[in-house]
Amino acid sequence: MLPDDAIDRINDGCRTIGSFCTQEGVAQWEVVAYQSYGHQLDIEAGKISLAAGGGEGGYGIRVVEEGRFGYAYLVDVDAAPNALKQALDVARASPSVEGFVLPSAQEAKPVSGLCDQRILDLGPEDLLEQADAVLSEVASLDERAVVTGGGLGVGATASALLSSEGIDSSGITTSHGLGVQVSIDANDELTSSYEGDSGRQLLPDVPSCIANAVHWAQVTRGPIEVNSEPQDAPVLMTSEGFSPLFSMVVPTAVRGDRLVRNESFWSGKQGTQVLADDLSLIDDGRMDGGKSASSRDGEGVPTSRQTIVDQGRLVGSMWSTRDAAQQVAEGRIEEAHSTGSAVRGGHQAPPGTGCRDFAMTSRNGGHTQDALLERMDDGYIVHSVMGAHTANPTSGDFSVTTSTILRVEGGSILGPVKQAGLSGNLAQALSKDVHLGDDVRIQGSYSSGSMHLPDVLLMQGLRINPA
Amino acid sequence: MVMSASPTDGHPAGTGRYLQQSKIQAALGHAQDLGASYAEVRLMAITDSSVAIRDGKLERAIPGQEIGVTMRILADGAWGVHSTTDLQSLPGQVESTVRLAKAVAARRASKDRPVALAEVPILENEVHWKPKKDVRNTDLDTKLHHLMTLHDSAAEDERIVSVTCGWHDEHLHTELMTSEGMNRVWSFQRSLINATVTGRDGGDVVSYRTRHGGEGGLEVIEDCDLGELGRNAQVATLRLLKAERAPSGKLPLVADRDLTGVYIHEALGHPCEADLVAAGDSCLDGKLGQTIGNSIVTVVDDPTIRGGYGAHPIDDEGLDTREKCLIKNGVLTEYLNHRETAHHFGIAPNAGARAQDGLHHPLVRMSNTMIQGGTHNDLDELMEDIEYGVYACGSRGGQVDTGRGSFQFAAQEAWLIENGELTKPLKDVSVSGLTLQILNDVDGLTRDARLAAPGFCGKGQTVPVGDGGPIMRISQALVG
Repeated sequence: MLPDDAIDRINDGCRTIGSFCTQEGVAQWEVVAYQSYGHQLDIEAGKISLAAGGGEGGYGIRVVEEGRFGYAYLVDVDAAPNALKQALDVARASPSVEGFVLPSAQEAKPVSGLCDQRILDLGPEDLLEQADAVLSEVASLDERAVVTGGGLGVGATASALLSSEGIDSSGITTSHGLGVQVSIDANDELTSSYEGDSGRQLLPDVPSCIANAVHWAQVTRGPIEVNSEPQDAPVLMTSEGFSPLFSMVVPTAVRGDRLVRNESFWSGKQGTQVLADDLSLIDDGRMDGGKSASSRDGEGVPTSRQTIVDQGRLVGSMWSTRDAAQQVAEGRIEEAHSTGSAVRGGHQAPPGTGCRDFAMTSRNGGHTQDALLERMDDGYIVHSVMGAHTANPTSGDFSVTTSTILRVEGGSILGPVKQAGLSGNLAQALSKDVHLGDDVRIQGSYSSGSMHLPDVLLMQGLRINPA
Repeated sequence: MVMSASPTDGHPAGTGRYLQQSKIQAALGHAQDLGASYAEVRLMAITDSSVAIRDGKLERAIPGQEIGVTMRILADGAWGVHSTTDLQSLPGQVESTVRLAKAVAARRASKDRPVALAEVPILENEVHWKPKKDVRNTDLDTKLHHLMTLHDSAAEDERIVSVTCGWHDEHLHTELMTSEGMNRVWSFQRSLINATVTGRDGGDVVSYRTRHGGEGGLEVIEDCDLGELGRNAQVATLRLLKAERAPSGKLPLVADRDLTGVYIHEALGHPCEADLVAAGDSCLDGKLGQTIGNSIVTVVDDPTIRGGYGAHPIDDEGLDTREKCLIKNGVLTEYLNHRETAHHFGIAPNAGARAQDGLHHPLVRMSNTMIQGGTHNDLDELMEDIEYGVYACGSRGGQVDTGRGSFQFAAQEAWLIENGELTKPLKDVSVSGLTLQILNDVDGLTRDARLAAPGFCGKGQTVPVGDGGPIMRISQALVG
C-alpha cells in the first residue's frame, strides 16, 4: 500500500525545506510532512457501492522569530520559497510571546503497535472479501437486517518532523476501520443502528460491532408506552452512547490554556474534587497500539502517560509549548511546560493542544451490566445520541436526543422507547453517583483523541424527556 | 513525494487550467478501451486563508493551497475511484481503477441493479462567479482590522472573559473532464468571519458563537455590520449568564430563521437526499407526490442564490445548478439527486452532486435550503396565541437519523413565552421530533424568508451550506 521509499521521500522533502529555511536565516523552523495511502469501500443498500483508493499529503512549515510564529503549508517542495515567505510575513505581524521557542531535541522511546505489516500488505481484494463477510454476517444474524450505509477502509501514513532544534523523527502508522448502519425495515417500522470499530492493528474480518449493530436495530423495535412526563432518572449510557458526549466536553475542559483563561467549568479548581471520588482520568500518549498514541507529540516533544484527575481530584492539565509560554507570558499562570500534548490533524495547520488515548477509570473497578441494572433499579439505557456535537464544552451542559433507548424497571429491561430527549450537565453528573461497566471500548478519532470508556451508569443529574 | 502541476497558462484563477487536457482525454479514452462505460477526472484547487485572533491578539494566520484530483470510473455497472494530490500519477492509475470497478461489479447480486447514469447535456465551457472584491487580494492587515472590529464590540464587559474571532476565505477552482465530452471549468469564492464569546459570572460560565459569511469575496465581510454582530454576541452571552434551564416537554415552539433553517435542513433536507432514499435509509422513501406537511410548508434548495454559503454555479458532475422545490404546499415534490440516483428513480437530474474537495467523490448534498415565507407579519403575531411555549434562536447545530426520521437541533439561546409575551431567558434548549409528524405541526410562518447564518453539513464529507427561512411556529415540539 505504501511505497517502499515513502519515508525517504518525505524525509528528503523535509531536509530540502529545512535547508532552505537555514539558508534564509530563519531563527527557528520546524517542517512536518505527511503522506497517506489507502483503500476504501462504501456499502449502500446491502451491497458494495464503490471501491476507492489513492494518496494525499503535504508539508507544513512553522517558523519562530523572537517569540513570533508563522505557519504555511504546501504540497510541492518547489513551492517552499513562497510558503516560507508567507510564514515569515505572518510571524512578523504576530505578537511576540516572551519565552516561546521551539522544543529542543529530547530522547523519545518508541511506542509499539502503531504499524501493522498485515495492513500494509492488504489490497483492495482483501477489503472486498471483508465486506462480503460483513454483509453475510448481518444477513445471517437477522434476515430482515440490511447494511444501508457505511464502509470500511485501510490506510498507512508516513510522517516526518524535522526542526532547527535537532528533532528528526519519522515513522509509519497504519489504520483499519469499519462502520455499518444496519436497518431493519419490516411491518411498517424502520429501526437502525450505526456501529463502528477502528484501530492501528488489523481488525477481525467480522468485528463485534457488526453483531452489536444488528442487536440494537432489533431491540429498539416495538416501542412501549412510557410516561411522557420529563423526569430525572438514572441512565446507563453504553460506551458508544457516552463517548461522543464525553469527548465533546471533558478533554476540552482539561486543556491548560482553557483552565487558566477561565474558559473551563473546572477553571480555578486545580487540586480540588471535580469528579466522584473513585473516578480518575488518564491521558496516555504512549499506549501500545493506542489509536492516538505516538512517541512524540505534534511538535516533537516526547509523549507521556499523565493523570489528569486522580480519584476525583483535578491534578493535571494538557499543554503544548506555545500555549504554556503564552499563558505564562500573559501572567495567567506562574509556570507551565509542555506535557507532550501538542496534536496535529495534518499538514495544513500548526499544532494545537489535545488529548491522546483518554481513559476514565474507577477505583471501584468495573461491574457487569446486570450489576449496573440492579443498582439502577428504575431508569433507562441509552446506546447512542443525536446532537452530541451541540453539547456546550464551556459549561458542560447538553441536551441531545436518542432513538436507541430502553426502559428499565426493577433492574430488568422493559422495552424500547421510540424517542426521548436527554439533558443535563455532564461535569455535574460525573461528580455524583457514578458506576462503571467492566468492558472498556474505544471510540473516537486518530488525530483528535480516542476515548477508552466502559458503560457508565449516571445515577443523578440527567433528565429524560420521552417523546 | 506528491506534486501538483501548475496551471498551463500561469494564472491559477479564472481561465487557467491545471489539468493537461490532452493527457486527461487520453486517460479517459484508455479507461473506455478497458471497458469503462463512463469515466471522469475532476480537479479542485482551493486557495485559502485562515486567521484567528484571541483577546485581540493574532493567534494564527495560515495561508495555503491544496490541489486534489479524483478519477471516477464506471465499469460493468460499478464504481472505481482513485484520488490523489499527485496529478502526474493519474494516467497510471486508470487500469487499476477500472479493475477495482469490475471487482465490485463482480460481487453484485443478481437482484441488484447495475449503476447507470441519467443523461445530461454535454457542455464545454467556463463559468466564473466573479466576486466584487477578490478575497485573495486581501492583505492580513485588512483581515485583522475586520476581526478586531468584531472582537472589540464583543469584548466590552468585564464578565466577558474571552473572545476568539476567526476568518476563513477560499477561492475554489474546479475542472471536470468526462468520457462523454464534458469539459467544464468553474470558480467562485467564499468568505466567513466568526466569533466565540465566553462569559463568566462566579461559577457560571457560558459561551455564544456568531457567524457571518457567504459566497463572494471581501465584500461579504464588508457588507456586514461587524460592530453590531459583536455587540449582539456580547449581549447574548451576558443574557445566557442569567438564563434558566429550559422547561422539558412537548411545547409550542417559535424558531428564528437560523433555527428554522437548521430544522428544515435536518428534518427534511437529509431525508430528501436520493442516495439515502435509494439505500433504504430515508423515511421519505416512496412518498413522492404525497402530502407530508402542512399546506403552508414550501421548501426549496437553491444553489443559485448568490451570496448564500451553499451557493455554487455548477455541481460536481458538471451540471448547471438550479432551484429544487422539495415540498410544495405540503406535498413532497422532488428528491435532491445526482446522475446515478436520477437514473435509479427514473427522474430528471437536478444537479445535487457535491464533493468536499478534489480528493472526494460527489454525494447528493444540500446547498441553500429554505422554507418559503408565510402569512404572519412578525414574531409578535406568531406568539400572540401561545400561553406557554419557547422562542428559540440561533443554532448550535443539529443531527438526523434519516431512516428513523428522527432529528435533533440545538438553540444558542431562548426565551420562555408566557401569554404571548417573551419573559425569561433560557439556555440549553434543544428540539427533537419526527420528520413525518413535525412537518404537519408547522402552523405559522412570517412573510419574510431569507438565508440565515452560514453553516457546515457533515455526511462523511463536510460542505458549506446556507439554511434559512422565515420565523416559524410549531404547534407542539419536544423541547429539552
